[in-house]
Order: sequence, then C-alpha cells, then structure tokens
Amino acid sequence: MNLPIANIRHHKSRSLLSSSGIAIAVCMLVAMTGLSRGSLYEIAERMESVDAELIVVPHGVSDSIPTLGGMKLYENIAPKLEKEFPDLVQKAVPVFICSLKLGGQDQRVMAISPDNWRIFSKSHNLAEGRLFDPENRFGRWLEKVKKTAADSSDDDPVELTRKDLSNPSHNGLELVIDQRLAAAGNYRCGQTVTAANQTWTVTGIAETGVTTRVFMPIRTAQQLFGVGDITKCTMIFIKLRPLASGMTPGQAAQKIRSAFPLDIMPMSDYRGALEQKFGILFTYVDIVNIIALLIAFLFVTSTLYTMVLHRAREIAILKSCGASTAFTVSQVLYESAILTAIGTAFGIAGSFAAAWLIETWQPLLTVEISLKWISLAVAAAVTGSFLSAIYPAWSAIKTDMVEAMRYE
Amino acid sequence: MNNVNPVISARNLQKSYGHGTVKSEVLKGLEIDVRKGEFLAIMGPSGCGKSTLLYVLGLMTPQDGGTVDIEGTTVPSGEQVRTFIRRNTIGFVFQRFNLISSLSGEDNIKISLKVRGMAENGRTAAVMEQLGIMEAAKRKPSEMSIGEQQRFAIARAMAHDPAIIMADEPTGNLDRGNTEKLLVSFREIHESRNHTILMITHDPHVASCTDRILYMADGRLHKSETQPS
Repeated sequence: MNLPIANIRHHKSRSLLSSSGIAIAVCMLVAMTGLSRGSLYEIAERMESVDAELIVVPHGVSDSIPTLGGMKLYENIAPKLEKEFPDLVQKAVPVFICSLKLGGQDQRVMAISPDNWRIFSKSHNLAEGRLFDPENRFGRWLEKVKKTAADSSDDDPVELTRKDLSNPSHNGLELVIDQRLAAAGNYRCGQTVTAANQTWTVTGIAETGVTTRVFMPIRTAQQLFGVGDITKCTMIFIKLRPLASGMTPGQAAQKIRSAFPLDIMPMSDYRGALEQKFGILFTYVDIVNIIALLIAFLFVTSTLYTMVLHRAREIAILKSCGASTAFTVSQVLYESAILTAIGTAFGIAGSFAAAWLIETWQPLLTVEISLKWISLAVAAAVTGSFLSAIYPAWSAIKTDMVEAMRYE
Repeated sequence: MNNVNPVISARNLQKSYGHGTVKSEVLKGLEIDVRKGEFLAIMGPSGCGKSTLLYVLGLMTPQDGGTVDIEGTTVPSGEQVRTFIRRNTIGFVFQRFNLISSLSGEDNIKISLKVRGMAENGRTAAVMEQLGIMEAAKRKPSEMSIGEQQRFAIARAMAHDPAIIMADEPTGNLDRGNTEKLLVSFREIHESRNHTILMITHDPHVASCTDRILYMADGRLHKSETQPS
C-alpha cells in the first residue's frame, strides 16, 4: 500500500496531464539541443573527415572559416607551399566554396579538382555513379581557353556560353552529392537538376560523411561564381607529411605562417570555430529549453497544489491520525517524484522518437541525442520536481484539520 | 459528576473563531471529565459548539484558554507533542467517514497504522473481522455501501487500539438500519476493548445507547444524565 502511487492511479487524467507536461519539456530539452548541436557537429565531423591537417585562408578571416566562400586566395599559393616546405607539406589543395540551392535549401558546395577527390572523400566511397569530370577535361579545356585569351592580350574576359559549360565532351556541369541530400531531394544518379541558372547532372552519390553535401569541378565554380577568374580559390587545405616526433599541426602551421602572411588553422580547431560562429544558436535553444522547463514545472506545481487543495480533507484525515510534518511532506514530494520520473522517462523516449521523425522527414538535419543532455534533463527534472513540490507540500503541512472537516 | 480516573479532563475551556469584531465565542469556560472506559454522548442544538469541543479535546485545534488533560497529563501547546498524543491515544470517526478515496478499505486502515509508525501485525484483519467487513476489504470507498464505509472508518479509528475514540455524529448520514448496526459495533468495541468513547450526536436514540449523556448549550455543558445500565 502506497498512498502516492494509489493517488496517481486513482487520478489518472490529472497524473497523465502532469507527466505529459514534464515529458514535453524533457523531450524539448533533449531533442532541441540534440538538433541544434547535432546539425552543427555533423558539419564539424564531416569537415574533420578531410584527409588534411591545416586550413589556409587570407590573413584576418580565420574567424569566418565556417562561412567563408568565393575568391579569397590566389590558387598558386598551393604549389608555393609545397615547394617552400617540402619536408612539411605533402599536398596543398585549393578549394573554391560556393552555394547551390538543392533539396529545397542552400547547400555549401566544395569545388575541387577531381584529382583531389580522395582528400575529401577519405574513407567514404561513391555509393553510386562516378566522379564529376573524372578526367578533368573541362578544367584543362578552360585553362587552355583562358591561356589563349591571355596570350592574345585580349583584355576582355572570356565569355563562356551555356553550351560551352554543358558540352558533353567537357563535363563541366556535373555534381557529386551525398546520400542524405540524395534522400532529401529524391535525386538519383544521372538526373539533371537546375540551380544557379544552370542544368547540372548528378553523376555520383557519395556515402554520407564526406566533407560536404555537394561537390563540383573547381574550374566550373571559378567560372560561374568567381567571375571567370580561375586564379583564385577560397581556401587551401594542407595535408602534412608525417610530423617529426613531438611536432603538432599547430606548430607546423606556425612554421608555415612565418613565411606566408596567411591565417593557417589546424583542422582540430575547426569545431571550435564553428561553435564560436554559431554559439548564439545554442544560447537561443538553451533559453527556449529553460523556458519550456519552467513552464512544465509551474504546471506541475499548479497540479500538485490543486491536488493538495482537492485532497485537503484526506490530508486532514492523515493529520488527525497523527501524521507528522515529515510524513505529510514526503507524500507530496513522493507523488511529485513519481510524476516526474514517469514524465522524464516518456520525455526521453519521446526525444528518440522526435529525432527519428525529424531525420526521416528532414534527412539533411541531424539530431544527436547525447548522454550528457539526457543526464542534464534528468537532473533538471529531479531539481524541478523537488522545487515545484515545495509550495504544495508547505500548503499540505498548513492544512487546518478543522477547516478541512468543517464543510461536513 | 464522578471524577474517578478521568481519561479526559478539561477546565475553563475557551475557544472562538474569527477575529476582530466578527469574533464568535464557541466554548465559554467549559469544564468536562470523562472517565476511563466510559461511553459518553454529547448532545445539543446545532451551533452550540459540540464539534468544536470534540476537536479541542481531540487536539485537532488548540483552545484559546483553559487546560486539557489526557490520561492525567496536561497537554502542552507545542504542536509536536499534541500530534504525538493524538497519534497514540486518540482515534477519530467522522460523520462523512472520510475514507481516502484512492485506497481500498483495508489500505485505509493500514495507512492509519503506517502514519502512526505501528507494525501491522494482523491488526487490520482483526478489526475488520470484529466489524464484519472482511468481504469489502479490497473495495474502494466508492464501491462500498454507506454502512460499510462507516464501519471501515471505525476500524481505522480503533486499529491502533487507542485509549479514546472520538466520534463526530457518526450516524448522521446513516439510515435507521445502519445506525443500529453501528451502535451494536460501538457497544461491542466498548465492551471488548474497554475504549473510552466520546460521541457527538443529535439523535436521542443513539445517545440513549451510551453510559452517560452530556447536554451542551451556548458553549457550556449544563446537564449530565447517567443512563440506567
């Protein structure tokens, strides 16, 4: 015989409402933090999958690396880095970053030379199809066209027609996308898609986990999004040779920086830069979660208080039997704790269900349910249940037996 | 009045409700002695202070003035001691039974023992057996007849074997048949366990089944009538 459990079972609707309030708050806390952090960390993880140790950007823009795009850096710095530091730099890879609207939202596109595909796919293979412009025909053709124009001392920029870009022998308008974007946009290999006023062909679908969701040939991106300037890129990735004992990528970066006035960031710092850039999002989500929790526990307080008022007579009966203050308080706290435990359990289960639903309906989003946030939600629920039971418990202690019996 | 071995003794009891100009004096220097093992009825018109007297003597509410002695000890004003005495010495039966709706009849008795920190040790079954309510043990109050509810309320009041049982109009909601059964139960309890029973009633027939009737009016006792045995 347990009075709080009996009361919960007896007042099913009230108990269900109270627990639901807590469940919704806990679910929000776990799922929303999981969504905000999961989506951001998924970007970080994809970036960390690059088979390179350093990122090179122009001086003064390292804070903006996560959102950087367009023409920022001369591409010929890459071979210079390889030449200047042959003992450190194994490969320097220029990357042009732009965006294309695919799958209903803007996608960050990494434009690279097809020769460098392995750096960015690392352990992830093409699940279907082939790489874009695999023999780099468009790149070589465009370089030749540009060189011819430069040799003829013609100051007018080279104008390429749509036909030039989509010429099947050049393979310029080809894309590789990842599996999640393919699922979100229902794209298949060989399918043509329209974006940025061009018709692109999806030539391959890469396994989830590659550096970005969309890849295209760097020359195409430079021509279309870099006003035809094929000498500039957005950033350069450096793959280091095996470092001498005790040397860190940070120290290697410092050494290179001494010769080149550039910002050079170790890949391991990328996650931090991302968090710094989008930290405000976490703050926003955390504030929303705190408000949700407060509302949930005000709801529980109100329910428990109503329960105390509703059961004033029962509390008076227990007191007439000689119930001590500790016994009376423990009954309210125990009931609150049980409601919270039920609500928390359903909230956590609900957050997994919400994560599954979000990822099913919006394949581009990632919800990362972490033990840390589940623990925080449980801690918040336990604290909240205790605090929200204090006032009702105090009211229970103060119940006037005679007043409660008077309306007999 | 015979003052030998009073289990309850009150002197110059005063109690009022409200405050300021709307204060209503309910007990006005009332004095009472209840002998150990006595079955006593208190009668009087509505509003004369019968229930208030029961609540004061049962230590459910403090008096404004005067003293209450329980089993020869003057009850102090501290709530903890009053709760201790109420827990161990007194059992209450109310007019509306006041069983806890979420618990079965049996559990209503058990929780009163738990609250009192007493081991169950078959006490619940014993009182249910004595009052003939074993069959309704697992039923919730809403599934019981009025008579069963009141007998469970009595069982709860006597399970811890208190020295005193206080009943506030226990037959007020009962029909004649159930009233008779209840009176039989009270008499049996009184005779078998020698509890002191203090009962408020409006019903002269119910009062006539007790050892003594005290008549109350205007906050004071004004007549005591011992019943022929």
